[in-house]
Amino acid sequence: MTKIQLNGREVEADPKKPLIAACHEHGANVPHYCYHPGLKAVGSCRICQVEVKQGEMPPRIVAACRTPVAEGMQVNTEAAKAHDARRECLEFLLKNHPLDCPICDKAGECDLQDYSYQEGQGEGRSVEPRRKLDKRKSLGDVILLDEERCILCSRCVRFMEEVPKTPQLTVAGLGSRSTIATFMDRPLSGNYQGNLADVCPVGALTLKKFRFQARVWNLRKSLSTCGECSRGCSITAEVLRGKEVKRFRPRYNDKVNKWWMCDSGRFALERHAEQAPGLGPRIAGALSRGQGAQVHEPIAAPSGVALAADMLAAHERRVVLASPWLSQEEGAALARIAQALGTTAGFVSPAPDGLADRLLHTGDPCPNRRGLTDLGFVALSVEECAARLAGCEVALVVGERAGELLREPLAALDASRRVALFEARALDAPAVKVQIGVPTHVEKSGTWINVDGHVGRLTIARAAPAGTPALTSSLRQLEEMLAAAAAGVVGDTGARR
Amino acid sequence: MVIVKRRELTLAERLYLPEIGRALALSLRAMFRKRVTRQYPEEPLPTNEVTRGQPRLVVKDDGNIACVSCGMCEVACPAYAITIDGGETDRAIEREPKRFDIDMLRCILCGFCEEACPKDAIYMSDELELADFSRQALVYDIEKLKRPRSALQKRIDYVNKLNDRWRKPSSTR
Amino acid sequence: MPELPLWLVWVIKAAVIYGALLSVAGLMSLAERKVSAWMQYRIGPNRVGPFGLLQPLADGVKFMFKEELVPAGANPFLFRIAPALAALPAMLAVAVIPFAGEIELFGQRTTLSVTDLPISSLYVLAVGGLGIYGIILGGWSSNSKYSLLGSLRASAQMVSYELSLILSILAVVALSGSLDLRVIADAQQADAALWNIARAPLAFLLFVVCMFAETNRHPFDFAESEPELVGGFHTEYSAMRFALFFLGEYCAMTVMSCLATVLFLAGGAIPFWPDAPWWAELASFLVKMSAFLFLYLWVRWTLPRFRFDQLMRLGWKVLLPLALFNLFATAALMAAGVL
Repeated sequence: MTKIQLNGREVEADPKKPLIAACHEHGANVPHYCYHPGLKAVGSCRICQVEVKQGEMPPRIVAACRTPVAEGMQVNTEAAKAHDARRECLEFLLKNHPLDCPICDKAGECDLQDYSYQEGQGEGRSVEPRRKLDKRKSLGDVILLDEERCILCSRCVRFMEEVPKTPQLTVAGLGSRSTIATFMDRPLSGNYQGNLADVCPVGALTLKKFRFQARVWNLRKSLSTCGECSRGCSITAEVLRGKEVKRFRPRYNDKVNKWWMCDSGRFALERHAEQAPGLGPRIAGALSRGQGAQVHEPIAAPSGVALAADMLAAHERRVVLASPWLSQEEGAALARIAQALGTTAGFVSPAPDGLADRLLHTGDPCPNRRGLTDLGFVALSVEECAARLAGCEVALVVGERAGELLREPLAALDASRRVALFEARALDAPAVKVQIGVPTHVEKSGTWINVDGHVGRLTIARAAPAGTPALTSSLRQLEEMLAAAAAGVVGDTGARR
Repeated sequence: MVIVKRRELTLAERLYLPEIGRALALSLRAMFRKRVTRQYPEEPLPTNEVTRGQPRLVVKDDGNIACVSCGMCEVACPAYAITIDGGETDRAIEREPKRFDIDMLRCILCGFCEEACPKDAIYMSDELELADFSRQALVYDIEKLKRPRSALQKRIDYVNKLNDRWRKPSSTR
Repeated sequence: MPELPLWLVWVIKAAVIYGALLSVAGLMSLAERKVSAWMQYRIGPNRVGPFGLLQPLADGVKFMFKEELVPAGANPFLFRIAPALAALPAMLAVAVIPFAGEIELFGQRTTLSVTDLPISSLYVLAVGGLGIYGIILGGWSSNSKYSLLGSLRASAQMVSYELSLILSILAVVALSGSLDLRVIADAQQADAALWNIARAPLAFLLFVVCMFAETNRHPFDFAESEPELVGGFHTEYSAMRFALFFLGEYCAMTVMSCLATVLFLAGGAIPFWPDAPWWAELASFLVKMSAFLFLYLWVRWTLPRFRFDQLMRLGWKVLLPLALFNLFATAALMAAGVL
């Protein structure tokens, strides 16, 4: 560790990192555009200029991202000269920026806006017209480029080179006509393009799928974990007006995903919409199908749980199957129930989805595989699950997407079997006698354990449909009712059939 | 402390009757004075450019509204009356509201939206009347909020005059 | 014209006069609002019918459909009957008012009044004095301190001013030598100088002051007295029963105006037209009566209410001695042959 003096304070700096990292670590908010802690520093934007005095030499203005820390260097980030340098640099960057913040998706989380407030002079002196460039240049299915807004920091270029290691972008052209471009205008490829919109410090690279969807200050951000593979990237779930999940964005986690996430996780938004293609409607409360009835009647969730308890208590040859999206807390409760029913619980383990890569995606779509295995659940392929279901008299299938994964085996069961399904979305199958609504993973709090044993936290980003209790409380109720039934006590709902 | 000395009443005043006569004469005269009543729905209130009526969206000369759905008014609105959903267009300014709702029952006519608007798209009109049979009908959508520029010109000029106060004379815009 | 039996003619006459009385009372509620508006630079009701003329009808319909409340602890029977008791006496009193002279009606010669009593002035005073029962019972049965206070005040006021009223009428009775209102009116017929307003101006003044007090009108409306007593005796009333109190008040005002017209302005007599036809007399009577009614409104919207002790002082220490003096002075002047 190297000792430096930062704004008059003695601090320890990592000699392997540039000066700006030490500044940020110790609370000096030095502006930066081209510098990104996950990318190589190039020093192209010059906004991170600070005053450095070393030894007997007079103080100099240096770019903090390209200056290595040295023993005894005196850094002043708030010097008048440093502020002046940054202000002038900013005026230069804004010279050709279109200032179309009202229509820009980045507005509100834009570094250019933030630092203009922090450092800028508030007024441009330029009288020349701004350069006119392509404002709607498509870079593939994911990213849209607005060339006018670009400040040529080259973060996107370096990201493509350094993180997925698929260099596809470059700075093309000279002088004021420089733009970000792909070779021969080919569309970008790869599963990590979405990160470009995150690394872009301005609104030049934006997500097509998020284009004009919401103003970012209207999004309520909750910390969460990606549920699309067993990596379990740390993310924030961003919800508009308490209803629509508008964005998933990576959240820095040094041990799991650093600053990045893959596109398949980032854009797994459809299933959180009210109407999801190919999926049934959300269950609010519970649905029950009486003896011989053809349609499901909506009932209150506790009544649904009571029906499930009656079913499970009254029949032998029980099967308990779980969804791999169960949290540890829910899994523990379900394991106890399985034990009480005298069976071992298994979880559905669908086949790898073929998206595995060397960076983040594991290809295994079960986010809590490791956690459930630790709890004693047996991993069962869909076929094995089907076999278990075929041999059962009564089945308990629990968890978000469990019914979706087992749609065909459940539909194939005849009406004499009894299945109690805890699912987020309704399923129409003759054997499913009662369906109890559960919150999805953006609607519950809990824990997942990823492929490497790291803990991923879930928090409630939005409320589950009205009348849907947490799965942990539904399972607790089920457990108590089963215990009561085993002790021969007839519950107040307990009409044994 | 102030000592108020009451005036001695004259005999006529103490007799009371002459004073009653004077009072009656006064109220009789009042019957023939000019009326001050305004017959409201037929005679509307006078409005001027300072009147802050309900907010309205300006329709530009090309027939499109000036709003780009930036959400500034939505954020500025202290009553949470405004709801905006953005959308894309093919025009040069590529963003426009797909939904722009003002819940007139929540609107408090404060004019913050007008002040916040960076695109000079929303102005306080001189329309003050608000009545309907359902709450839903009073959530005004774009079609109900659209007004041609000419209808709002007085207010636009007035707001520009106000804003000039904050512009530096050297400013080049 | 077919000849009808006398009793039927009387019934028709009574129906017409009572109908007219109620219409006048209704119109008074409109006039009250119109005059108050005019005196306050306003327009007044003008939405229902031309010039708001149908406003009383609209008010009536509204009163009919309002919910009627009976307060807890009220005496329901008395509470319900009190408004009728308040409205009834004024309507009874109008029976003896001579509106005009003899007319020919369905082949029967009859006078234009419901009936002619030889002691009609006595009858008016006796029946008019009953009006206070409605107010007292209404106030007491409401089981509310405000109502009770209002009716207490009303009864005290009534006792105090009825004396002066009767004494001022007595002077007129003495001048005419009859208790019959028709005789009193006819005695003044000859010319304006013989009208009692000229012959007994002090009696007229006393009568007018007491007339306000008797009908509980401004500036003597202590029975209501909104600032202190919420609504006075009718605080707890609602809907049609509330309206009945006002109907009674306006009827009483109308009867009092008729009485003043008969006693002091020679009824329907028109100066310099001694043998005017009956319709001219009726018109003249109505004009004179309307003038008194307007006076009621005019005073109401001009003068503030007295304080209660001022009211009592005025009644007992000013009006009563003056009325006694007036009676003796009239008697003395008559004895001396001046009047």
